[in-house]
Amino acid sequence: MSITLTVNGTPATVAAEPRTHLADLLRGELLLTGTHLGCEHGVCGACTVEVDGAPARSCLIHAGACDGASVRTIEGFGEDAVMVALRESFSAEHALQCGYCTPGMLVVARDIVLRLPDADEARVREELAGNLCRCTGYRGIVRAILGVLASRRGAAS
Amino acid sequence: MTATISKGVGASLRRKEDARFLHGRGRYVGDIRPAGTLEVAFLRSPVAHARLLGVQKPTGLVFTAADLPEIRPIRANSTLPGFRASDQPALAVGKLRHVGEPIAACVAPTRAEAEDLAAACVLDYQALPVIADMLAARAPGAALIHEHWPDNAFLETRRDEDLTDLDAVAAAKVTRRLRTARQHMAPLEGRGVLAEWDPRLEQLVVTTAAQMPHVTKTGLAECLGLDEGQVRVVAPDVGGGFGYKGILLAEELVCAALAIRLGRPVRWLEDRLEQLTANANCREHFYEVTAWADAHGKLLGVEVDATVDAGAYSLYPFSACLEAAQIGSIFPGPYTLPRFRFRTVSACTNKPPILPYRGVARTGVCYAMETTLDALARQLGISAQAIRAANLVPPEAMPYRNLVGKVFDSGDYPEALRRAVAAVDVAAVRARQAAGEAVGFGLSVFCEQGAHGTSVYHGWGIPFVPGFEQAQARFTPDGVLELRVGLHSHGQGLETTLAQVAHEILGVDPARVRLVHGDTALTPYSTGTWGSRAMVMAGGAVAEACRQLGERALAIGAALLQTDRASVRLVAGQVVAGDAAVSLDQVARTWFRSPQNLPANVDRGGLEVTAGYRPDPDTGTHSYAAHAVVAKVCTETGMVTLEQYVIVEDGGVLVNPMIVDGQVLGGVAQGIGTALYEEMPFDSEAQPLAGTLADYLLPGATEVPDIRIEHMETPSPWTRFGQKGLGESGAIGPPGAIVNAINDALAPLGAELLDLPATPARVLAALAKAGRA
Repeated sequence: MSITLTVNGTPATVAAEPRTHLADLLRGELLLTGTHLGCEHGVCGACTVEVDGAPARSCLIHAGACDGASVRTIEGFGEDAVMVALRESFSAEHALQCGYCTPGMLVVARDIVLRLPDADEARVREELAGNLCRCTGYRGIVRAILGVLASRRGAAS
Repeated sequence: MTATISKGVGASLRRKEDARFLHGRGRYVGDIRPAGTLEVAFLRSPVAHARLLGVQKPTGLVFTAADLPEIRPIRANSTLPGFRASDQPALAVGKLRHVGEPIAACVAPTRAEAEDLAAACVLDYQALPVIADMLAARAPGAALIHEHWPDNAFLETRRDEDLTDLDAVAAAKVTRRLRTARQHMAPLEGRGVLAEWDPRLEQLVVTTAAQMPHVTKTGLAECLGLDEGQVRVVAPDVGGGFGYKGILLAEELVCAALAIRLGRPVRWLEDRLEQLTANANCREHFYEVTAWADAHGKLLGVEVDATVDAGAYSLYPFSACLEAAQIGSIFPGPYTLPRFRFRTVSACTNKPPILPYRGVARTGVCYAMETTLDALARQLGISAQAIRAANLVPPEAMPYRNLVGKVFDSGDYPEALRRAVAAVDVAAVRARQAAGEAVGFGLSVFCEQGAHGTSVYHGWGIPFVPGFEQAQARFTPDGVLELRVGLHSHGQGLETTLAQVAHEILGVDPARVRLVHGDTALTPYSTGTWGSRAMVMAGGAVAEACRQLGERALAIGAALLQTDRASVRLVAGQVVAGDAAVSLDQVARTWFRSPQNLPANVDRGGLEVTAGYRPDPDTGTHSYAAHAVVAKVCTETGMVTLEQYVIVEDGGVLVNPMIVDGQVLGGVAQGIGTALYEEMPFDSEAQPLAGTLADYLLPGATEVPDIRIEHMETPSPWTRFGQKGLGESGAIGPPGAIVNAINDALAPLGAELLDLPATPARVLAALAKAGRA
């Protein structure tokens, strides 16, 4: 089947089998390998991308269901101010080791920062419950997100 | 902004590798797909024990063992007396010995089509009685998994010492039977292999998610009948290892043979279902421990009978016996045990074969020893702190050789205990207990041998023995320092920490240091990344290579400054003589691009040095830690909440404290999984019962508390900078400390938990057994 969608701001028309999921389409057809597959059943969150502005598991969405959708992957955030701040904060807080969960974590982290400007540590941890990291023990990730939230609150006040 | 004071040893330098990961530019095996790649799906055994009678193949590319006779079986035997040898076929031959064992490789242009082929295969087998439990494995009349053996055990080891007289003199004696669950290491990235045959070089190139690329290369050459020069192994970015990727894979051999046969790139990527069902491969121990103590809690003797479920095969290179047999040597832990008797059994069962997971047997041993100590303390009416203080090796005894010959290099174990206890308000816990709250305080203390080398490993007689770790240091013509090491960094941050070591020696800015690793064609041979050895071994080797390279640079620099070698020294990346200086960039440019300016007696080895390093003695460093936990137990639901978690850790001199904390925190999260959540249940037919990450529970951000780490820094007297290996330590302590806290909370109710993980169901069962639920 033929699918037309926008990926990282660029229109694309691609062919996919009905059983192909979005992550395989992104990684295989479009060579956007920053989206990682950890479980392919929607638990680990490594494959999280943005679909029409909201985080979504690209392993659980059929490619065919994305006809007309706008998809943004880790490669598509460029100089987005929140993502720039998160990258900086993730590095400063040692929020990544092997890097495999990192793209999904960043997509979710950006969503937390924008959607929940007043989130405290408990809320951040709860929001991260759908993203597994096997390396860091989460402390660095939580602190990185809290750091960006705090600096944005500081800038706003 | 805080100015960076130093970028060398001891600096919490941010990681050089972060940038690519933060932009989605990491490159893992699954990201690499050359044109014409064929994908493999494996037909795997649906049963745990059966005679394999045949496979009816559909039309298409399907290969069984009979189709690939060029693959020799994997052989990972130990020369320890009594070890029973066996082969692991890359594809099943004659018998099926565990669920998930590969039977046939199904090859197609896409994975989906390859899976269609696998689904269309018809398997003919005759079921055999299944050995699903390690304690039943050696029962009289049990079905034999390897039919040329007398019973289902790879190895039994013993230390005989008659302890029966202790009954008469001991103030306390306890016996506990304890079990730990079979786990899955669960790195976020699964295994993956891409094999290609290069007809020009007549070379097999295997790109694989591996912790030990050179060992993989040796194994591939042996099993495929190639010379080692015909095999190149590339380990690109690897999404977590933890031991799971320290292995020669059957799948690597099959993909390699198919790539040679078909003349096309051949790739297999493990998915989570096959990972969980075929490869839950670690941590399943059973202990019967008896311990005797005097009235002060001083241990008089310990007897342990330990069995490890080693699964169906002996894996390459660590073998099936490493885990169980090491229990005998590590069970005394950080304590001055006077008398000790043990038996260990590496049981063979119809389960996936085991691999050493972060901490190897130490996690189970620490759990058994620490819970037994608390049981003794409860019987004696003394505190958990007191019984440990009575037995820890004192600092004045260092270096200390214990009764089974383990040598501890340095440290103040009692101080770690004191600081961990002081960091928790134990009185507040006691007050809450007195008010009837089910809350408890728990401790564990342990040490971790790391970077142990030739003198330790040659005795195992397994397929590899670590020797001198080598590193190459060389300048490129523009003065960039390139380091080449044969081990692999997959989260440990070696691209940063080895640059820090180079900076320490040569003063080169870490930004101008490149680490080359993960490619056997580009790096010196190494046994790889395992055993908490990278920072000690590669750190030492890089330091030595840089030192020698610095000597070469000084000689050239002295000539450029028109002075002699004795008048120059290296300062901040420059060769300095009085007020005059030349940069290392200038030295490099001179060697490569202006050789007319070199001194006549210049070392013709140029600006490229390979150096080897091994600590002396190489019996290993011993990092150690005390973990202190406050846990609350809900007696209605059985749910355990970790309220406080404090670690006092001594890893010697810390090369990068930020990265060390990261290793400890990540290890603790895994240890919390071992303690409370992670379990691969098997039914009586050895069928794995957790097929998704919704069934096999990994700790998430809400399950791991905010952990506090305090450091002590007692240098190892035997390593280059005094650093110790500690990458595994975080995963060792949690089950002991957490279950001790749970049992402290349950003690007023007369309940005690013995088996891991401490799930709500097990907590409720313990309460029910005590008549309290």
